[in-house]
Amino acid sequence: MTDDRLLEVRDLQVEFSTRDGVVRALNGVSYGVDAGETLAVLGESGSGKSVTAQAIMGILDMPPGRITGGEILFQGRDLLRLGAEERRRLRGPRMAMIFQDALSSLNPVLSVGFQLGEMFRVHRGASRKEAKERAVELMDRVRIPAARQRVNDYPHEFSGGMRQRIMIAMALALEPDLIIADEPTTALDVTVQAQVMELLADLQREYRMGLILITHDLGVVADTADRIAVMYAGRIVENAPVKELYAAPAHPYTKGLLDSIPRLDQKGGQLYAISGLPPNLLHVPDGCPFHPRCPRVRDRCRTDLPPLYAVSEQAADGAAEATGEQAEAAAADAAHDDVARVPDIGERSSACHYWKETVDDARRA
Amino acid sequence: MPEPHRPDTPFDAQGAALDEAVVTRTDPGRARSLSSDAWHDLRRNPVFVISALLIVFLLVIAVWPSVIATRDPLYCQLSRSLEGPAPGHWFGFDTQGCDVYTRVVYGARASIAVGVCATLGVAVLGTVVGGLAGFFGGFWDALLSRTTDVFFAVPLVLGAIVFLSMIKLSGIWPVVLVIAALGWPQIARIARGAVITAKQNDYVQAARALGASNSRILLRHILPNAVAPVIVMATIMLGTIIALEATLSFLGVGLRPPTVSWGVDISAASDGMQFRNAPHILLYPAAALSLCVLAFIMMGDAVRDALDPKLR
Repeated sequence: MTDDRLLEVRDLQVEFSTRDGVVRALNGVSYGVDAGETLAVLGESGSGKSVTAQAIMGILDMPPGRITGGEILFQGRDLLRLGAEERRRLRGPRMAMIFQDALSSLNPVLSVGFQLGEMFRVHRGASRKEAKERAVELMDRVRIPAARQRVNDYPHEFSGGMRQRIMIAMALALEPDLIIADEPTTALDVTVQAQVMELLADLQREYRMGLILITHDLGVVADTADRIAVMYAGRIVENAPVKELYAAPAHPYTKGLLDSIPRLDQKGGQLYAISGLPPNLLHVPDGCPFHPRCPRVRDRCRTDLPPLYAVSEQAADGAAEATGEQAEAAAADAAHDDVARVPDIGERSSACHYWKETVDDARRA
Repeated sequence: MPEPHRPDTPFDAQGAALDEAVVTRTDPGRARSLSSDAWHDLRRNPVFVISALLIVFLLVIAVWPSVIATRDPLYCQLSRSLEGPAPGHWFGFDTQGCDVYTRVVYGARASIAVGVCATLGVAVLGTVVGGLAGFFGGFWDALLSRTTDVFFAVPLVLGAIVFLSMIKLSGIWPVVLVIAALGWPQIARIARGAVITAKQNDYVQAARALGASNSRILLRHILPNAVAPVIVMATIMLGTIIALEATLSFLGVGLRPPTVSWGVDISAASDGMQFRNAPHILLYPAAALSLCVLAFIMMGDAVRDALDPKLR
């Protein structure tokens, strides 16, 4: 664990009790963020991205939710061992969250200036007047034009992009060390998306915050993220620096996601889609949860749950020289060797028995 | 594939260009909150205007009855008992020979005081119980909701009669307290539902994510979004509570003479013989009571229309 490690989630498990049974929303999620780093968490709806974020923030609805295992280390302290009041004090000054739908995340009966100022009144004990001044500063900071005139306006009087800026301003108000942005641009149109992402990236650089960017938009990720964690069925399936992941995905699911992005340079062809649907978390398939949809599925995938394997350049290069059955055998051997070694959270890793072939195929293509 | 990165987009230039547009755009429709929107609607609603004028009038004579009635409501001349309207005594005289007009005017004070105080009590008690039940849920919800059900099961009039016939205090406070103690479950249920609805909003989650405490979330973020139905219910209840006060006074357990109230006067005038000989002594206080109840119920309706965006 490096000194810079801001947040480390280890083997986090969350369940929801529903009428139909227990939904295992998270089955051992591990990821980490350093100060000043952006981690993008990718995945389809229902893959557990938001649940992880809520568990980190401590705003998971419990019940029906239940954290059944794991640790969330924030600046070296396990958040799950802290009391409710201690955790509340962390929210705002130390960690903050930006939500997807800014309109519904702002209180409709209070002016934005009041809501922004609330951060200073609650956490810093500022007076009303002082708080309003700071609110205006913050609105300037997130480049809202005519901030002073608009500070007393209500959320519905702002455009979608402006509202999202206000949410960002609110999250940044106390300059937290960690910001979790839960699909911050999903509700916005494409041009505004780019502006908001850029603003977020600028401010993050300026304050040297750790940023967890939850999204299912691979386009947004490529520019801003340093590392990517891909989630599937409540697990991390691949964890890699952004360039390496785009260059050569080490999990068939990641590859599927990348192939399903429309590209300007390949017009006319049919767009790739991953067949099938994400698994129902009430009945996660045996073995690798992705196997029913995987184009590379083999017998072993149906029975053995793949752990996170460390993906190393050398190993991948070595395997590239071998071919056919040899490669498979080598991969299996390597995999068996790696079972004992749990990859470090900052290391590139993939939860596929056959990550080597996947990487190599991607490199060759 | 991904959006190309444009690190040097001149945001501030864009912002400056937007600046003017924004200022001119916001000028015509200045910031309007929910309450100012509601007020805007209400002013244009004839039902509200009429009921508001009536209520203002009733409040004024409740506070300063001497403005329109110069006599003393307790000054009675038995010699003029049951006399009909006469110059200076438009409504005639009651059994005791008191001026009915003066008593009707002075009666507003007790009736409205009981109505307003009991409604406030009901609204506060109901909102606190219902709000806490809805907000905390689980065990507390079960406990408070079942308590509410227990109180709900007590018939309001019967309960009030039982309690008030045991208490031997005069004045309006026993009546106010008994009505408040028995009337809150209705408000509590509404408040609980409204709080549960408001609690599920994203902004509550957002406030929690930014470190707001429970009390702040409940008071600042949930309550303002949940009071509308409570206000509506309370306004309508105000009318019915005034009627309830009259009912209790009529039955002899509510306000008692020498307190001047419509209920007391209606009770005194309700003898069948007297009604045949001198109907005015019953009709005037009864009409005043009906008008007052009607005014508050109309107001409640108008307020509901204004505060419920779904009815717009």
